[in-house]
Amino acid sequence: MAAVLELQDLSVQFHTGKEIVQAVRDVSLEVQEGEVLAIVGESGCGKSVLCKSVMKLLPQTAHIAGGRILVDGADITDYREREMEKLRGNVFSMVFQDPMTSLNPTMKIGAQIAEAVRVHEPKIRKAELDGRVLELLGLVGIDRAKERMQQYPGQMSGGMRQRCVLAIALASNPRILFADEPTTALDVTIQSQILELFRNIQKKFRTATILVSHDLSVVAGVADRVAVMYAGKIVEIGTTEEIFYQPKHPYTWCLLQSLPALSKGKEELFTIPGMPPNLAHPPKGDAFACRNPYAVARDYEEEPPMFRVSPTHYAATWLLAEDAPKIMFGRENGKKRVIHQEWKDAEVLLDVRHLNHAFPLSRKLAVKAVDDVSFQLRKGEIFGLVGESGSGKSTVARCIMNLYHKGSGEVYYNGIPLHDRKVYRKMHRQIQQNIQIIFQDSTSSLNPRMKVKDIITEPLVINRIRPKRGTYREEAVFQMKYVGLDESFLDKYPGELSGGQRQRVAIARAVVMEPELLIADEPIASLDVSIQAQIVNLFRHLQEEHGFTFLFIAHDLSMVEYLCDRVGVMYHGKLVEVGLTEDVFAQPKHSYTKRLMESIPLPEPGRKEERRA
Amino acid sequence: MRKNPWIYYGKKLLIFVVSIFLLSVIVFYIARLAPGDPLVSYYGERAEKMTAGERAWAEEKLGLHESITVQYGKWLGRAVRGDFGISYKYKMDVLEVIEGRVGNTLLLGGVGFVLIFVLALLLGIWCAWNEERLIDRAICKIGTVTSCIPEFWLSLVLILIFAVELKVLPSSGAYTIGKENDLGDRILHLILPMTVVVLGHLWYYAYLIRNKLLEEVRTDYVLLAKSKGVTGKSVMFRHCVRNIIPTYLSIMAISVPHILGGTYIIETVFSYPGIGTLSYESARYQDYNLLMVICLLSGALVILCNMIAQTINERIDPRMKGPDLTEDAEVIMR
Amino acid sequence: MKQKKPIISSVLLGLIILGCIGCRFIMTKDPTYMDLANYSHAPNGEFLFGTDTMGRDIFSMIWYGGRISLSIGFLATAISTAIAIVFGAVSGYAPRWLDEILMRLTEIFLSVPELLIIILLQAVIGKATIWSLAFVIGITSWTGIAKIVRTEVIQLKNSEYVLAARSMGGSFFYILIRHLTPNFISSIMFMVVMNVRGAIVAESTLSFMGLGLPLEVVSWGSMLSLADQALLNGAWWIILIPGAFLVTTLMCVTNLGNYLRIRNNQGVRNL
Repeated sequence: MAAVLELQDLSVQFHTGKEIVQAVRDVSLEVQEGEVLAIVGESGCGKSVLCKSVMKLLPQTAHIAGGRILVDGADITDYREREMEKLRGNVFSMVFQDPMTSLNPTMKIGAQIAEAVRVHEPKIRKAELDGRVLELLGLVGIDRAKERMQQYPGQMSGGMRQRCVLAIALASNPRILFADEPTTALDVTIQSQILELFRNIQKKFRTATILVSHDLSVVAGVADRVAVMYAGKIVEIGTTEEIFYQPKHPYTWCLLQSLPALSKGKEELFTIPGMPPNLAHPPKGDAFACRNPYAVARDYEEEPPMFRVSPTHYAATWLLAEDAPKIMFGRENGKKRVIHQEWKDAEVLLDVRHLNHAFPLSRKLAVKAVDDVSFQLRKGEIFGLVGESGSGKSTVARCIMNLYHKGSGEVYYNGIPLHDRKVYRKMHRQIQQNIQIIFQDSTSSLNPRMKVKDIITEPLVINRIRPKRGTYREEAVFQMKYVGLDESFLDKYPGELSGGQRQRVAIARAVVMEPELLIADEPIASLDVSIQAQIVNLFRHLQEEHGFTFLFIAHDLSMVEYLCDRVGVMYHGKLVEVGLTEDVFAQPKHSYTKRLMESIPLPEPGRKEERRA
Repeated sequence: MRKNPWIYYGKKLLIFVVSIFLLSVIVFYIARLAPGDPLVSYYGERAEKMTAGERAWAEEKLGLHESITVQYGKWLGRAVRGDFGISYKYKMDVLEVIEGRVGNTLLLGGVGFVLIFVLALLLGIWCAWNEERLIDRAICKIGTVTSCIPEFWLSLVLILIFAVELKVLPSSGAYTIGKENDLGDRILHLILPMTVVVLGHLWYYAYLIRNKLLEEVRTDYVLLAKSKGVTGKSVMFRHCVRNIIPTYLSIMAISVPHILGGTYIIETVFSYPGIGTLSYESARYQDYNLLMVICLLSGALVILCNMIAQTINERIDPRMKGPDLTEDAEVIMR
Repeated sequence: MKQKKPIISSVLLGLIILGCIGCRFIMTKDPTYMDLANYSHAPNGEFLFGTDTMGRDIFSMIWYGGRISLSIGFLATAISTAIAIVFGAVSGYAPRWLDEILMRLTEIFLSVPELLIIILLQAVIGKATIWSLAFVIGITSWTGIAKIVRTEVIQLKNSEYVLAARSMGGSFFYILIRHLTPNFISSIMFMVVMNVRGAIVAESTLSFMGLGLPLEVVSWGSMLSLADQALLNGAWWIILIPGAFLVTTLMCVTNLGNYLRIRNNQGVRNL
């Protein structure tokens, strides 16, 4: 059977004035009707560019440098814009990552879906058009479709918006569907719903689907075949079971190991050292070689071709060559973690009682962001606060830090009542030194016009404390070493650093005052998986070596499961369940917690049917 | 705004009235604080030779001898009834004076306004569509040059070329004497001043449109629209242009006073009998009553336009609409 | 998007500014001397740019007058920018009710016609000097920048690094100076440059209308106020030459401003 989509040695380049970036290099693959092919890789590996290049949605600075694209056997590589317009929507369509920005905020949903239908059926009459729109809305699971049609995207939740985007993509019955990180911006429970929706629709219409994601666990439950991309090339491709249970390329194996689920109980999360290469000057030989724990000499010299492992399984690594050493992948530092239990008997550091906070919407209505929340933190423990967006967990953090002034409830720190304004003002300084906060989005939590060294030492400057290591500069150097940043970053600006490096700066800034309590508000959410692992390892290190207490707020449950001693689950402002991590995850008691746990995607293909009990 | 529209507009009306009132107070006081002799505008140069007695008598006749507050009170009392007093210079009822001239300014400014905004929209769209290509860069360069030319100088140059050298167009006035109602003649007189009005503002707004469109073109939803198979032109008009219209409308509202008010320079150079020259004279020569009315009118215009712009922004732009509050809890808690 | 540095503009502008500053070395005649025997002469060997209707050498007047026009332009902008930053920052950072009041006040202030304020201020201050004119122009042109500063401050004050600074104990002023100002400076740079342009135009317009500097004081605007007679005589040099200098200067300034603005706009075009 001819493949619906076939790529032959496709290469895509970007011309950015001075350099030529090779975003996609000699990629060959094919997708059959009715199958789901997942393309996984970290950010910058070229997976998005690949999809957009098939649909010719790339910006003008990009162009196809070589290879061919075949759709149902027809070569569309040289098609012009006008011919592509006929194909888009009809033959292939795309679901984008961020539903917030992919929909036109000033056009009603119904109109946007109708546009998708009308483009390829210009003569359709209004009544029939409306019918089709309603049908599509129903197909993607949106209730009260008639009402929804008249709404604007801003009035809908993230999950609903993504369903609308899907409805638009399906409007003209495309043969091929590209889904570029479709659930990354969504909450876990919504994510599982959307993924299920994808699967159902795909089965129903036998659409060839290409799912792009950086999250292997998501892919496990949905894909038939998986292609792993690194630095613009496909390094391994095979069925889902083959990739997950018998990876042959070291990068694939490293990616799998980075999943926190596979590091449960271990001392450290597995990380891949180094960073992906600069695609303006791709290195000689295998691009992964310098980070490859199993690299052989030949990897540095020559690029490996695709070796065949089975009719469906191919990997591009010299380890598969006949004369290569036989290597079994395994973890050297998979030491089991020595669990410290001292914190269970330690004193209570933070005591939150009946915390309430409401955001006023108008004079009468208010949104209750935090509703009667009470919990305790003991010295030396890592407490995880989880919940989906809107659950109120960030608000709790800010209330504790007294960044919000209204609301009721009591917060005791080491016995000192933080909520009492008079006491707070007196002990103000002390408290500020002892509680520090790290925010999520490092791009906005660091002043882009301040140098790294000034950012790190700012708390000392504001509070007029003399740095322990002499000058401010030396203090900054010390802290940077502490969090694993090289001295050379001292005089750089945040814009010159990567996401992970910026987050380290934020952590350094937080620990420079040697606080007792660190509140981390979604500190890893916007980072790549392997970088997340590095930061989480750093937290673990800070707890064990230096006795910091953490309030770790996150929505990534597997990270929380790995890192935290105890966990609290929030839903609609209420704390619905609190307990030891193992207990809460293995045997959730509250119905919401149960729902949450069930939605976590497992990196175990084939197991999904069982789990849905 | 889900409130009762009566309350909404009622509030606005109230703010409007209060603002006008405050404005009148401010202008009244400022005008009288300025040194200069109103008697001169009434009596002309004879005023300087008056004796003290004659001055006192003149002042009393015009009501200028009382304290400022009392004067204001009297003025307010009469104004509320529609009597705005007499222009010292023209010795006519103020409203009559204005009536005679307002038509000319409205013609010049009004038509100019429409031309500017229609042309600016078209030009802006064209440039955005051809971003960075030769035509765009050429138009940008030309536009930048025209926007740098001071209006009065452009007027002078045009008069020099067309009226003095080439002798094709008249250099001043709104119409040739005797031909007041001749449309063709009126138009001839309008051409040069209109050109200056339009050229002076055109590029600013065209550039604005161009930049706003360029922003829209870089959004994700444009990419999505393209992926549906919608043609480039369609995307530009149905999505991008559509999205900037509310902003454009509110900019238009705000620029009404700016454009109408700016005609005074052009009117002066072309000796065009409009409100612009009137306001200049009354300010310069202490023609208080006339000044008050003109200031009130222009102030009212400014405030009104600002309010319209605000209303447009609040009502029409769906981006301002938040999540539907009758939704389920998930959204409410956001 | 490639952005060429505005080299030509900078060089031209530089030359003009240098010429004005060093006018003493370039001028061939005394710019204020009215040589009535030689009035309204076209450009020739002795009077490079001709003479105006009062017999003054236009070439010398350009450089001498340029000083005044340019300095008023810069001064006025400095004044308006200072007012704008303070006003905008306070308004943006202040609680909502204060912000509303300040905005209403600005509106009322704006609705008094510029003309009136200028005339009034002129009258109060007396005969116009460079400082008074710069002050007057500055007072009437700060609102544009203030609006931008206010918008930026409102956005910035909620960003996380400000929150972080507050949680560290930073005071209002500390945050204003250390965190807010460096971050909105770049967005107002463009408007500041445009304001210089506006101020220069304002000065020349006012002087032309007789509301600015008196005739005896030489500036590009006052040079043009004799245009009426020039028109009658067809003495194009009186009109075109000062105007050309004006326009050229303004263009250079505008190019610089645009360069600054475009430098801040990145993003890939999707259409």
